[in-house]
Amino acid sequence: MREFLYVINDPMGFHARPASQVFMEARKYMSSVEVSSEGELADGKNLLSLMGLGVKEGGVVRFRLEGPDEEEAEAALKAVLKEI
Amino acid sequence: MFGSIKKMFGGKEKEREMILAPLEGKVVPLSEVSDPTFSQEILGKGVAIIPSKGRIVAPADGVLTVMFETKHAVSITTKHGAEIIIHVGLDTVNLKGEHFTSYKNQGDHVKTGDLLLEFDMDAIKEAGYDVITPVIICNTPNYPDMECQTGAEVKELDPIIEL
Repeated sequence: MREFLYVINDPMGFHARPASQVFMEARKYMSSVEVSSEGELADGKNLLSLMGLGVKEGGVVRFRLEGPDEEEAEAALKAVLKEI
Repeated sequence: MFGSIKKMFGGKEKEREMILAPLEGKVVPLSEVSDPTFSQEILGKGVAIIPSKGRIVAPADGVLTVMFETKHAVSITTKHGAEIIIHVGLDTVNLKGEHFTSYKNQGDHVKTGDLLLEFDMDAIKEAGYDVITPVIICNTPNYPDMECQTGAEVKELDPIIEL
């Protein structure tokens, strides 16, 4: 299991475009991708669930990955998050 | 064309779900949207509607799974499980809710035709944004036979997508 935190720095929050980028990357991996913020939990492989978190600028998001390719998934998601 | 689909829908192909137009306007293929997130079907397949009226209504019975704080996009998970996102305009997240009014909250149960959003089309255009509104089925892989009707002018709740 791997975990990391990410602070949303997009002034518009975690809206459709960044959420869709995370979703697209997450679904490439076998590992489960749990995304949580302020006690709410979302499935990183479900776009609506991710967008429904409604994370605002400055909000902290916790990613929890579990599965055979969790290391690759972590690196890939971090790379995506750096771009958004 | 729609008549025959309706007949099929009411007849032997009952299991297929019909998604209705959440707004009035001209239905065009997603490929005509000048934003790759939509035109490349990254979020899923669907259609885009060039609005003729600034109103969004629920395209099916279901739950309002997402109502963005910026009110520029909503999503509904229908009672049959289709995940629909309606994104009013392109890059309109930057308006931070200006020119948009929402009538429902995230988590609300909605009925087909319930008013979800109103938007001031002219003000949004004047601010420099394209108002084309993609209507997308996020869980497209669940619907291999999905059919989208494009090219027509539709009123609210005319059928646009058959799942």
